Amino acid sequence: MLDFFAIFSKGGIVLWCFQGAGVTESFTGPVNALIRSVILQERSGNNSFNHNALSLKYKLDNEFELVFVVGFQKILTLTYVDKFIDDVQLHFRDRYKNELEQRGALKFLLNDFEFGDDFHRLLREAEYGNKAKAPVFMRTFKESEKSKKTVKSMIETKDGDKSKEQGGKKSKNAKKEAESGGDQAKAASQTASKKAVENGNEGLTPEEIILQNRAKFISKQLGGGKPEKPSKSPKPQKPKGKANRVWDMSGRSTGHLDYSGTNGNNSSDAQNQDPDATVEPLIQVDSMKGDLRGVDYESSDDDEEEEEEVQEEEKVVVANTNKKGAKRGGFGGMFGMLKGLVGSKNLTQEDMEPVLDKMRDHLIAKNVAAEIASQLCDSVAKKLEGKVMGTFTTVASTVKQALQDSLVQILQPKRRVDILRDVLEARAQRKPFVITFCGVNGVGKSTNLAKISYWLIENGFTVLIAACDTFRAGAVEQLRTHQRRLNSLHPPEKHGGQPAVQLFEKGYGKDAAGIAMEAIAFARNQGFDVVLIDTAGRMQDNAPLMTALAKLIAVNTPDLVLFVGEALVGNEAVDQLVKFNQALADHSRTDKPRLIDGIVLTKFDTIDDKVGAAISMTYITGQPIVFVGTGQTYSDLRSLNARAVVSALMKA
Amino acid sequence: MDEKLHLDLDDFSEEQFMESFLKEIQSEEAVFIIGIFVALALVILTIVFFGNFWGTSKARNAVLLLGLCDSGKTLLFTRLLLGKFVRTQTSITESSATYKTKNDRSSSWTLIDVPGHESLRVQIVEKYKAMARAIVFVVDSSIFQKDVRDVAEFLYSILTDNIVANNAPTLVVACNKQDITMAKSAKLIQQQLEKELNTLRLTRSAALSSQDGAVGGSVYLGKKGKDFEFSQLPNRVEFIECSAHGSKREDGDADIDALEKCLAKI
Repeated sequence: MLDFFAIFSKGGIVLWCFQGAGVTESFTGPVNALIRSVILQERSGNNSFNHNALSLKYKLDNEFELVFVVGFQKILTLTYVDKFIDDVQLHFRDRYKNELEQRGALKFLLNDFEFGDDFHRLLREAEYGNKAKAPVFMRTFKESEKSKKTVKSMIETKDGDKSKEQGGKKSKNAKKEAESGGDQAKAASQTASKKAVENGNEGLTPEEIILQNRAKFISKQLGGGKPEKPSKSPKPQKPKGKANRVWDMSGRSTGHLDYSGTNGNNSSDAQNQDPDATVEPLIQVDSMKGDLRGVDYESSDDDEEEEEEVQEEEKVVVANTNKKGAKRGGFGGMFGMLKGLVGSKNLTQEDMEPVLDKMRDHLIAKNVAAEIASQLCDSVAKKLEGKVMGTFTTVASTVKQALQDSLVQILQPKRRVDILRDVLEARAQRKPFVITFCGVNGVGKSTNLAKISYWLIENGFTVLIAACDTFRAGAVEQLRTHQRRLNSLHPPEKHGGQPAVQLFEKGYGKDAAGIAMEAIAFARNQGFDVVLIDTAGRMQDNAPLMTALAKLIAVNTPDLVLFVGEALVGNEAVDQLVKFNQALADHSRTDKPRLIDGIVLTKFDTIDDKVGAAISMTYITGQPIVFVGTGQTYSDLRSLNARAVVSALMKA
Repeated sequence: MDEKLHLDLDDFSEEQFMESFLKEIQSEEAVFIIGIFVALALVILTIVFFGNFWGTSKARNAVLLLGLCDSGKTLLFTRLLLGKFVRTQTSITESSATYKTKNDRSSSWTLIDVPGHESLRVQIVEKYKAMARAIVFVVDSSIFQKDVRDVAEFLYSILTDNIVANNAPTLVVACNKQDITMAKSAKLIQQQLEKELNTLRLTRSAALSSQDGAVGGSVYLGKKGKDFEFSQLPNRVEFIECSAHGSKREDGDADIDALEKCLAKI
C-alpha cells in the first residue's frame, strides 16, 4: 500500500528505490519538495510532510549520511509506517555496514544495493503485524469481572471516603444489578475501569489501607509533581460532594418537593446585584480625576496555576538532570571526560540534551521567539543524531557548529534578491514596478518607504508614492513632506525635467485598494519606474482590516509585498507573520495567492546584539530580509549580512 | 696490592666522575632540563609547520561543480567518475571524489559536487573556494531563458569573490541537457550571460552595503567603459555543450567528451 520507498545519500545519489504497483508518477518531485521545504528549512522536528495527495515520512541517518523516505496516499492512515522505517533503516545499515564505512562519495556509486528481497520481507511483516490486532469487542455484563464479585467486596474503602459515598456507590450497584440487560455493557465497562483501582484494596483493614496510601503519597512527592495537580483543582471533587436524592414517598407529598424557599433567597441576592450594576458606571467615570489607575492584570488564579505547572516541570527537569549527574559521577569523573575527548563516538540524544537546552535558552535570551528556538534545537538534534564525532571535538562544540550552520542557512535568501535588476526588467517591459508595504502600527513603514525611495532615485529611477494610508491623521502630510525633501535633494533638472518623486493621494477616508489601482494606472501613463504603496498599520487580529489589506493586494497584484517588522519584537513576530500570511491566503481569489515576499527589518540600531527577531521572521515565512533599517535619516538603509547576524547571535 | 690499588683508584675515579656529573646536573639542573625541553618543542613545532605548508602547497587541486538546483551536477559527477547512470535527488551535502584524467599525463585531482540550493551553496563554496583549480559551472540549457538572471547572479557572486578573483581558476561553463530539443546552444548562452553580467555590474555595485558597513566583493568584472565580455576576465573561460543524460538515459553513454577533453587540459 506504499506508493514508493527511496533510500538515497545526502549527496543526492539514489541507492535503492521501490515503486508500488500501479504508481506511474516518479517520486523525484515529491521527494525534492520534501527536501527543500523541510530539511533545508530546518523544520526537521516533525518527520512527516504532505505534498498534494501524498503523505511523506522520512528518517535521516547521520552516521552514514543517508535519507530514508516513504510515501503513501494521504487518505490512508497507515499506522505501521514509523516502525517500518526504523526497521528498514536498521536492516539496511547492518547489511551494508562494510560498504557504507568506506570513505568518499564513490562508495555510493561503486556498490550495488540490492535491497529488494529484504524490503519486501520487512513490508510483509509490518503489514501482517498491523492486521493481527483484531477489533476488541466490549464484554457483556455476564462476562465482566464485576458479575463474579460480591457486593461487599466492591464497597469503597479507600482515601477516607465518607459513608454517604459508600451508600451512594452501594445504591448505584444495587440499581445496576437490578437492571440486567440493555445498557449493561456500557455501565459494566465504565464501572469496570473505576473498580480496577478499588479492587486493589480488597480485604485490607482500614489502618493498613491508610498506611498504604501514605506510602503512595510520599512516593508521589518524591517522584514527579504531576499527580499532585488533581488534588489541587477543586473540580473533580464536586461530583463526589453531590448527595444522592432520596425519594422516600416517591414524590407524593408536593410540599416536600417545594424548594422555593431556598430559591427565593438566591433571587433576592440577584436583585441585590442589580443596584450595584447601575451604580458602577457612575463610579468608573468619576475616578479619572487625579492619578491614573494601574494596568489591569489577568486573574491571579490563572497565574497561580501556570506557576505551579512551571514549578512541577522544573522539578521533573531537576530530577532528570540529577539522575544524569549521578550517572556521570558514577562513571569516574576524569576517565569519562577523557573518553569524551578522544576517539570517535556516536552522538546520542542524551548527550546533546544539556547542550541543546543551554543553546535554546541562549537563543531565547537573544530575542528569538520561544517556539522557533525549540523547533530549531529539535531540528539540529535530528540532524546530529548518530553522527560520529572526530577526535578532540566535544559535544558542545559540535552542537554549536551545527546550530551556527543552520542559522546561516536560514538567513540565506532562498531566491535572488536584487531589486534594482527587477526594476530594470520592469522598465524594459514598460510597466511600473509596484512595491507594497504592510505591517502593524508604528513599525516604521512610512519612514522606510522614504528611505527606499531615496535609494531608488539615487540610482536614477523615478518614484511614485501612493498614499493608501487613509486612516491615520497626518499620514498624507508626512508623505508630502518626504516628497518635498527628496525633490529638493534631487532637483528635477537632474532627472530630465520630471520630478524624481511624486505623491499620489486622494485625502482621507477613501478605499485604499481603489487609490492603489488609480496610482498604478497613473504611473503607467506617466512612465514612472517604481510605485511605492504605503498602507495603514493594522493589528493582525483585526479581521476587517486584514480583509481590506488582502483585497488591496489581491486586486492590484504588486510585484513585491514587503512586511515591515521591527527588530525589537519578540514572540509577537511569529503571531504577526502567521496571521498576515493567513489573511492574504484566505482572501485571495486565485489558487496561487500572493503572500509576503520579503521582510524589512527596522529599528536595527536600537538592538545591541539581540538580533533574534531576524531569525524568527525568516524562519516563519521562509522569505528573505530585503532591507534593514538602521536609523531615521535617508541613508540609514542596509542589506542583511547573514554571517554578522549569526556571529552576534552566537556570541556569549 | 696493586690490583687493590687499581681497583680503588678505579672506584674512586668512577665515583668522582659520577659525583662530578651529578654535581653538574644539580647545579645547572634547571637550565639543562629546560634546554632539552625547548629543543624538543622546537623540533615538534617545525615538523608541524612544515606539515601545514605542505598541506597548503597541495591546496589547489580541486575542481568544483557549481550551478543552480536541478542543473544536473550530481548526474554529471557520476558520469565523469564512473560513466554510469544513477537517479538523483536534490543534494543536501557536498560529495567529493578523486578523478583521474583520461589523457597521457593521467593527473588526478578532487572533483567536488556542490549542492545548488540557495541556502547551502554559499557556505559550501566558502569552504572550498580557496582550493579550486577550476570551476565547472553547469547550466540547464533548456530552461536557461527563464533562469538567466539567477544563473548570472550566481556566476557574478563567484567571479567577484576576492579569493576566486585572486586565484583566477579556469572557468568551464557546461551547457547541460543538450539532449532536450529546446536546449540553447553554448554560443547563445554566452551572449546572454555577457549581457546579463553587464547589467549586473551596474546594479550590484549600487547595492546597499551590509549593516556593519562591509561592502560586498569590490572586484569589478571586465573593463570599465566597455561592455562586458568573458575574454576580459583574467581566468581562462570555455563554453562547452554536454548532456549528462545522454540520448538513451540509462543504457547509453553521456555526451560528455568535450567536457572530458576540457578537464584533461586543466
